[in-house]
Amino acid sequence: MDLVESYAQDLRFARKSFTRALLGLVLLAVVAFPWVAPDYMVFIATLVALYSIGVMGQNILIGYTGQISFGQAGFLAIGAFAFGHLRIWGAPFLLALVGAGTVAALAGILVGFPSLRLKGPYLAIATLGFGVAVYQIFVNWEVLSGGRSGLAIAKLKPMLGLSPVRYEYYVYVLLLAGFTLATYNLVSSYVGRAFVAIRDADIAAEVNGVNLTRYKLLSFAISSFYTGVHGALYAQVLGHIEPQIFNILESITLFVAVIIGGVASIEGSILGALFVILVPKVFSNFREMVPVVYGVTILLVLIFEPLGLFGRWLKTRLYFQLWPFR
Amino acid sequence: MRIRTAALTLAALLALALPVLAQTKVPGVTDTEVVLGITTPLSGPAAAWGTTALGAEAWTKYVNAQGGVNGRKLRVMMRDDGYNPGRAVANVNELKDQVFALVELLGSAVLNANKDNIAEAKLPTIWPYGNPQIFAKQPREKVRGVFMVYPDYGDEGEFLVGQARKLEKAKKVGAFFQNDDYGKGGLEGVRRGAAKFGVTLAAEVAYEVADRELGTHALKLKESGADAIVIYSTATHGAGLIKEMAKVGYRPKIFASFPLGDRFVMFRLLGELWEGAYYNVTGAVPGEPEADRVIEIIVKQDPKLKGRESFALAGVAGMVATVEGLKRAGRNLTRDNFIEAMETIKDWSPEGLTGKITWGPNRRHGLNPIRMMRAGKAAGAAFTTVTGYQPFPSHF
Repeated sequence: MDLVESYAQDLRFARKSFTRALLGLVLLAVVAFPWVAPDYMVFIATLVALYSIGVMGQNILIGYTGQISFGQAGFLAIGAFAFGHLRIWGAPFLLALVGAGTVAALAGILVGFPSLRLKGPYLAIATLGFGVAVYQIFVNWEVLSGGRSGLAIAKLKPMLGLSPVRYEYYVYVLLLAGFTLATYNLVSSYVGRAFVAIRDADIAAEVNGVNLTRYKLLSFAISSFYTGVHGALYAQVLGHIEPQIFNILESITLFVAVIIGGVASIEGSILGALFVILVPKVFSNFREMVPVVYGVTILLVLIFEPLGLFGRWLKTRLYFQLWPFR
Repeated sequence: MRIRTAALTLAALLALALPVLAQTKVPGVTDTEVVLGITTPLSGPAAAWGTTALGAEAWTKYVNAQGGVNGRKLRVMMRDDGYNPGRAVANVNELKDQVFALVELLGSAVLNANKDNIAEAKLPTIWPYGNPQIFAKQPREKVRGVFMVYPDYGDEGEFLVGQARKLEKAKKVGAFFQNDDYGKGGLEGVRRGAAKFGVTLAAEVAYEVADRELGTHALKLKESGADAIVIYSTATHGAGLIKEMAKVGYRPKIFASFPLGDRFVMFRLLGELWEGAYYNVTGAVPGEPEADRVIEIIVKQDPKLKGRESFALAGVAGMVATVEGLKRAGRNLTRDNFIEAMETIKDWSPEGLTGKITWGPNRRHGLNPIRMMRAGKAAGAAFTTVTGYQPFPSHF
């Protein structure tokens, strides 16, 4: 039986041996992937990995804490440009990454303040304004954005004799694994529970002793940290950034990924990232019809899978668990 | 049991993902065909520019109908990147081992994100659209495969101010520019031109691509009292500004950069307000015999191009150049001898669609093509040619 008797048991990552085996298989596939797939697929997987981190961050804010935000593009840009400058000043990759996340997190706290008073669509509009403002600042403040030609970022030097594409893939997948573990721990800790309490009923949460100011700001800070890291990793992969890359479309893409993958779900975040990267790619032969196909697919998922792609996985699992009964 | 099934399924999936083994030594070349790769915005904010790629593809169909090149048919692998540099890098990564060469990459951000990528893959990249300075700043060995024909925004800006001084005796000019790489590049040239030709630069008015309301921009320009306005914008924003200026009774002389060079679009947007405007173009335009001949050919191959001829024509020019390189490289085709063949192209024009192009071992920016036109009567979309191709410098 699946009976949890202690907090330690509750925190365990995979409870059943079958789950552990499945997890092992997935890990094996992830490790083997760059050796069997062509380079371009490995690159796409790298993109999925970095997007997953950003989507996870947004899911903490939107899915777990219930704060609708459209300012993602702003945090992406802040993360990317902070990372770019740190790298140019000679900071090593990981340090620059942490720096980028931290700067974005500070910006997140700043944006979080209106969230203390604003809710729902009003908060969405305020964060949207933030995204646009950041874009304007970068476009007009050339010291920050590197001027007309943007910022060039040196590529990662591959180690262990790996090809650049494979090396980047492994680094990004490792980071994704780290962020996934951290997110699991976060949402099952008291912080995560405070977030969920705020989402479900903020007044009730406050009555029960959740400090709304602290936890709303914390949620903004953490999610912005993730998004900042996403921006930094994107900058590293492109090797060149300019403000135009971080337009409103990026905000919408991340938002779509959260909803499609599954609100308040970590695995869903990865599935959502897979969706927003793969669907335009797979259908790229449809040429000018791509946006239509993309839009219709989103509608279909929303109509038939209101819980997102992760909801489909849950239903499939339940079906096999109950089989042959229905 | 279930684990084994899962493992088997996984193994099967992985096997499916295995790359198709390369059949030839030269990527994208077989006995019977040459594959050319294009990544372009077919969707998204810049989708209109993707028509260049459709024009290029139509030209390959025409070449194939004539028997192909050196016994090989041309095939285009086209991928949509939505003007998004990340997707463009993914596309180039996908194409680089399957195609012989890349034709017509589009967009400054896309070029910047791919410039190292194409150098590492030693992938010939013919006729990329974007700021030539991107490649000019690259070390020489990294642009070996790049063969470019594109105007330098700065040179053009300087030229526009000079023409305003010469043709309309302008004393004060105003600049209306897009707040990005393109617009600011043009603005630098306008500043240089103002200093060089003794013209006062009375106003520098920026706008954002997302802006729709241009009334305040028009008022700022009116207050500056400029007698000529140099425009570095998209066609829609340029038209929007001219309309707003007319509304407040301000009709300065117009000197527009080449993105406003499609007179059919401009007359449709502005009607009589576009009459008398000076604008640049980079190649032959509909109404000139060279262009009309090519339009007839490509519209026959792809009837969907009707009504979008101007962008399609620009795309054809790049493909004609690629075909010329393939012809000169001969039957024994490798990327190296193709690059060497491209280097032999000298004082040559693709079907008369542009000015004379010269590439060479130390010259990859083959033409910095700008010539000036003037809009005539709106009825019949008339125009006159003001200057021939300008002898601007090659930048790399």
